[in-house]
Amino acid sequence: MRPISRAVLRPYVCPTCRHGISAGRRRFGSKSDSPDLYDVVCVGGGPAGLGLLAALRASPITSKLKVALIESQDLRKAKAWDLEPNQFSNRVSSLTPSTVSFLRSIGAYDHLDVNRVQDYQDMQVWDGQTGSRISFDWSMETSPFEDMRTVATMTENANLVRALLRRIADSGDENLSLFSNSTVASIENGSDLKPEGPDLSAWPVLTVKPTGPAAETETPKRIAARLLVGADGINSPVRSFADIPTQGWDYGRHGVVATLALADPATPPFPASKRTAYQRFLPALGGPIALLPLPDNHATLVWSTTPENAAYLKSLPTPAFLAMVNAAFRLDMTDLTYMMGMQSSSDSTSHQDELTWRAQHTPLPSQIPPPATAVQTGTVASFPLRFRHAAQYISPRIALVGDAAHVIHPLAGQGFNLGLADVASLSKTIQYAVSHGMDIGDLLTLERYSSERYLPNAKIGGACDLLHKMYNVPGEGPVAWARSLGLGVVDRLPFVKSFLMKNAEGY
Amino acid sequence: MLSIAFSAPRISPINASSQIILGSPHRLKLTRAPKPGANSPLNLEFRLQPTPLPTRWPPSRPRTLPLSVRTLRSTLSSTRPSPNHFLSTPASTPSTQTPQIRTHSTSSVSADELSHFSALASSWWDPMGHSRILHLMNPLRHEFIASCLAEGTPSPNQNPSSTSTPSTATLNYLDIGCGGGIFAESLARTIPLDPTAPAPTPTLAASMTAIDPSTDLIQMAREHARMDPTVHEHLRTGRFKYLNTTLEDVLAGKAGTPTAASTPNPSSPSTQSVPQYDVVTLFEVLEHIDPKTSTPLGFLTNCLRALKPGGWLIGSTISRTLPSFILNQVIAEAPWPIGVVPRGTHEWSKFVNPDEVKGWLQEGLMRAADTGVSRGGSAIAEGMRWKCVGAIYIPGIGWKMVPGSEDWGNYFWAVRKEI
Repeated sequence: MRPISRAVLRPYVCPTCRHGISAGRRRFGSKSDSPDLYDVVCVGGGPAGLGLLAALRASPITSKLKVALIESQDLRKAKAWDLEPNQFSNRVSSLTPSTVSFLRSIGAYDHLDVNRVQDYQDMQVWDGQTGSRISFDWSMETSPFEDMRTVATMTENANLVRALLRRIADSGDENLSLFSNSTVASIENGSDLKPEGPDLSAWPVLTVKPTGPAAETETPKRIAARLLVGADGINSPVRSFADIPTQGWDYGRHGVVATLALADPATPPFPASKRTAYQRFLPALGGPIALLPLPDNHATLVWSTTPENAAYLKSLPTPAFLAMVNAAFRLDMTDLTYMMGMQSSSDSTSHQDELTWRAQHTPLPSQIPPPATAVQTGTVASFPLRFRHAAQYISPRIALVGDAAHVIHPLAGQGFNLGLADVASLSKTIQYAVSHGMDIGDLLTLERYSSERYLPNAKIGGACDLLHKMYNVPGEGPVAWARSLGLGVVDRLPFVKSFLMKNAEGY
Repeated sequence: MLSIAFSAPRISPINASSQIILGSPHRLKLTRAPKPGANSPLNLEFRLQPTPLPTRWPPSRPRTLPLSVRTLRSTLSSTRPSPNHFLSTPASTPSTQTPQIRTHSTSSVSADELSHFSALASSWWDPMGHSRILHLMNPLRHEFIASCLAEGTPSPNQNPSSTSTPSTATLNYLDIGCGGGIFAESLARTIPLDPTAPAPTPTLAASMTAIDPSTDLIQMAREHARMDPTVHEHLRTGRFKYLNTTLEDVLAGKAGTPTAASTPNPSSPSTQSVPQYDVVTLFEVLEHIDPKTSTPLGFLTNCLRALKPGGWLIGSTISRTLPSFILNQVIAEAPWPIGVVPRGTHEWSKFVNPDEVKGWLQEGLMRAADTGVSRGGSAIAEGMRWKCVGAIYIPGIGWKMVPGSEDWGNYFWAVRKEI
């Protein structure tokens, strides 16, 4: 809780005391040699960091800024990423229409391999406990003669990263430094280069060290940032340097992901290009299971469940894993809980047999996905689910974007979009500052970004957290009754539903 | 005690001369202020000095009520001198030194205003401090200037580099009353490091000269400018200058002399007999002119004299109406958290209405056109290019230009000196 809160307290602190505290953490500048000066230094070369760079390079106002990006992975490999046409990475994100339009506006969408991208126009969400359901599509907003509006667009993260890198490469290498295979060894404050040089005592200075074989031969570089952007993930070093605390909790849940091949649907979709995403809440198993469409009748699975269940699912042989996924969209909670406890080492068809037998005695809803028929080898993985929100996104000459600022529950597929919305807002803020003579690292500049993003992120993150908690109450209690009523009401009230969908769309 | 504080700052006959001091107020103060050792808490005489003291807090001004907080604060500041205070007092100088008073009959600098703003120097660049509202207004100034320049710039024939395209940064700016440099520094940041490069913004700045009579503020502005390497580079090359001087001295060609720290630049306009600028800016200055020592008309005429033909005089000020009284005096200067500007920043009686500015400028244009042989005709005044638009601060949203709101409070105005 640094500068802003201190500024608020200022009227209550006597002038002499104020003088003492104002120096703060930026007192210790050590080295006297002058570092290379950059306007924007972005730590982290994920979709958020690369998106910011691509956005800055795309705008004629900010394209002249001297920018740098530091990434510990090899960006050349990411740029050369390639996969067989029917193989899909298990790191997939759903892009809302507003994210897609941002990517279009910075010219990055054209670099996406469209054969690996799948739109979907309908989303079926239902409660595994009560059976109440809601269907998200734009059919009541659009006329039947129009094309169906896209709810979201699925793309592999690697495909997007490659597109962003290509977009950045298109902009030339003038005023651009990509420190690939490099880590930030230290961040400290610069020093006053008296009497000839400028006073850099409030500028963050980074020591960038190459990793891998180059570590011995190359000397670390020192670069000073007018604006240091932390796009460096949940354990952001930039955030620690800025001394920004973060609040949150671990959900005690893991997300199991996999790339699946689906059987042909029983009834062909109408219109033929229509694709559907499915999500079923499983209160007894700790979270929802979702199946999101990929091209060529493939789908990506995200199953939020307890770490024990996740470990069990990962240990299953492929036929048993597929049976569990199919069962999770079909059977009731009691059956599923039973199947989750079956011996995983028993013969490989026992799960499938169990599903076949139990499905005969379960009334199946109409909206279930086609059965999964194959798992792509090596794509079953899991990751812990967490909630984090930084106390501030900005500090003098510091801005946090993406996971460095907020990590949310993936049940609505919004985390990735919030990160790119941060990037869109920050790049707009920088454009405004440059065109109005403002210092892009100044708090007065950055507060525009912070005020634009903090509340929307908190709102979406909070909504996902609330949904997670509501759909983790097992049994037929008042919570189950209330959430079914809520879902039913929302499904029948077009204006409430379209309001929710517009929120989820990111507009 | 209270009555003393009330009567103390009244302008005495002696002080009438101090009102027109130029440059540093401290030179005069040395003759009156006791030696630093005499700065004891009980020395009431210390605060009875009518001279503006560079105390941390604004000293009492004639308008101040006897029970004002400021009286208490000035007591505090005498018992516990701030570091700022010592910093600005050259203790080694003998107090018997003859005051170096340059009486300039046309100086527009008000001593009260000078001391008030010098006292605010330390928090000038604090984004959450006293000047926050000014910082927030700054982008609007750029937009307003851009809208003026879109209507026309000084003819490129005046420029030696006539090959310049419209997007090349060619304009020389003079910012009068730059204060801590909020506008001046932001404009200097838009000057391209490479003079032949296209201008990054529609303000097309090639150079900026910023002047202010307060030594403290100029000092602080220079210190702050060093924190931006780009601006620092412009300061070094002389494309950007902070001068602790007055408009009258700039016009007299004495701009480089008053302070040692300023860097004389052979290519600067100040070496010419009469300096000529493409844009002269006057943001939040008109309402701080002391009517006792200078008239806005005389001051604005001088501003127009500094302009090239076809150049723009651009400013902003506050109109003297009932809404502006409520907004600027009652609400804006209310105690925290309602108020957004420090108490005593504005005096409603000094505010000026748009039609007054327009009238002075018409008269000023005629006077500025006067030469030894011919007098400027009224045709100049009639064909005057005049722009005026109101600006409103909405808490939580910020400053917005609202055409037609000129009479509510803040407004921008501009006039073009015809070719």
